[in-house]
Amino acid sequence: MKTSSGLAEVGVLLAAFVLLWFAPSFAGDYGLQIAFRVLIYLTLAESWNLLAGSTGLVSLGTSCFVGLGAYVAFGLMNAFDVPLPLGLACCAVAGGALAALVSPALFRLRGLYFTVGTLALAELLRLIMVNVSAFGGASGIFLQKDPPPLPVLFHYALVVALIASLAITACARSRISVILRAVRDDEDAAAQMGVRPYRTKLGAFILSSALVAIAGGVQATKLGAIEPYGMFGLQWSIDVLSMVIIGGVGLRLGPLVGALFVVALGEALADYPEAHVAIAGVILIVLIRFAPRGVVGFVENLAPFTQKKRVAA
Amino acid sequence: MPDIGVALSTIVSGVLLGGMLALTALGLSIVLGVMRLVNLAHGDFVVVGAYVGLFFLKFTGVDPLLGLPVIALIVAALAIPLYRFLLAPLAERGPEAQMMTMFAVAIILENAFVLGFSADTRSIERDYATLPLTLGPVTVPLIYVIGFAIAVALILAVHWLISRTRFGRDLRASAADAQAAATLGIDVKRVQMLTFGLGAACAGVGGTLIGAAFQFGPSSGAAYLLNSLAIVVLGGLGNVLGTLFGGVTLGFLQSVGGLTLGDGYRDLVGMALFLLVLAFRPDGFLARRRS
Repeated sequence: MKTSSGLAEVGVLLAAFVLLWFAPSFAGDYGLQIAFRVLIYLTLAESWNLLAGSTGLVSLGTSCFVGLGAYVAFGLMNAFDVPLPLGLACCAVAGGALAALVSPALFRLRGLYFTVGTLALAELLRLIMVNVSAFGGASGIFLQKDPPPLPVLFHYALVVALIASLAITACARSRISVILRAVRDDEDAAAQMGVRPYRTKLGAFILSSALVAIAGGVQATKLGAIEPYGMFGLQWSIDVLSMVIIGGVGLRLGPLVGALFVVALGEALADYPEAHVAIAGVILIVLIRFAPRGVVGFVENLAPFTQKKRVAA
Repeated sequence: MPDIGVALSTIVSGVLLGGMLALTALGLSIVLGVMRLVNLAHGDFVVVGAYVGLFFLKFTGVDPLLGLPVIALIVAALAIPLYRFLLAPLAERGPEAQMMTMFAVAIILENAFVLGFSADTRSIERDYATLPLTLGPVTVPLIYVIGFAIAVALILAVHWLISRTRFGRDLRASAADAQAAATLGIDVKRVQMLTFGLGAACAGVGGTLIGAAFQFGPSSGAAYLLNSLAIVVLGGLGNVLGTLFGGVTLGFLQSVGGLTLGDGYRDLVGMALFLLVLAFRPDGFLARRRS
């Protein structure tokens, strides 16, 4: 049962992947721009869910790994003319390595300190980029070679989103899910049963951070120019939190629904940036209070027979 | 390296600012201790305090430093409904729901400031603020010394409140074990509400002091929040006088970092310190936690 539903999920993901692969041939430029953003956001939200839905760690440090990926990708491509796929692989390594490096500090005292630690880490990295002139300082850096055209970048984003989705499926549908949920729900009891909570959390954090860093690298390549305030800006973390709360924390379809919603909201209020963020804040407060499992959870509650689709809530 | 007088003055200024930040950090610390909530909107409460001080001066003409009790009450009165209507209903749902709610409040406040008061950087301007105070080779603006003195006096007052009064006893009991405190007849929700108000008042008064001594803008909140967190971690959670120590230490180290590496490194020192202390010396607050 478990394996077959997992295989079915992989099948759906691959079918969607193949279908979307041909999107550039029928979608217009605007449609492709939007689809690109949805895919990047989807990757970020899936990665966040991987961490929070399976270990209970709430991160406000998405921007930290987006920015890291952006700077690593640009640094390697500018200095060594590294091809993009290799550059993105290095982003993943860098993201995972940073996560491993800071985990002794962030995993102190479960829960709350992880959140503020990730916030502080993003600020720390931003200040380093602003102050160290080798990293371009406050004005940032340009990509020296021409970035690939949008359809190619769209394919990169699609592959990254597929990897993130498959990672979630692997974590939610396989034996690993039992370990992850055990650690999330009761660390001490899990430890008694022979699970190693620290290693489990570290693994989820490294994987999640690596995925976010790749997404950051792809996003930066599309922009062609990066600066520390944008790439390490709190906006990334706000958007990710909005997506997962709107979609539903720890729910399989949550990130997709959330990503579509947040991109649509951003498009609708593109001319009013302050109002956009403030409205996102109001939506968050209302949903946390009245629909803690987000839109997807709300719909599931209306239709109880779909309950079995829940993965990690 | 600048000459010794300038260097000393910079360091003393940093220490004095650290004292003022310690007052805001104290607000964060008591809320964290009693409610297990990292109030992510705390930095924006500081900015609220600065704006309240600014408009208090503009509309009443009374010096905001004389009006501090009123400012404290205003900020607390703004914060208590947030507790009552947003946080209290989430009490059963664990700290993450409350924390994310306050994060949403923070981004709403920040954007409301921009919409309402423009993105300009401001300062509460008093003619005595720029008067220099010279002691030997050290010269600092008078307002730094006044702000520091007020902040230290208020930190001591809060210390007295927590360690000597009936409310303080209830507060300490709620922080140690909310369930046991409730069993003993303490109205924990009321204690939490008052603590949240007190925490906001500390932020508000600190904000007015910082707004008078320095500059602030609608998005200054994040920096105040992170600095306050660094101070709480340095001083040890639940340790009121430790917070003062943490503030002064952070101010000192930031000034030294700014002098030796360049001004842009001031905040970087604070963040690095925060993560390093979390990694290597967490005992400051571990000592008070139940095992």
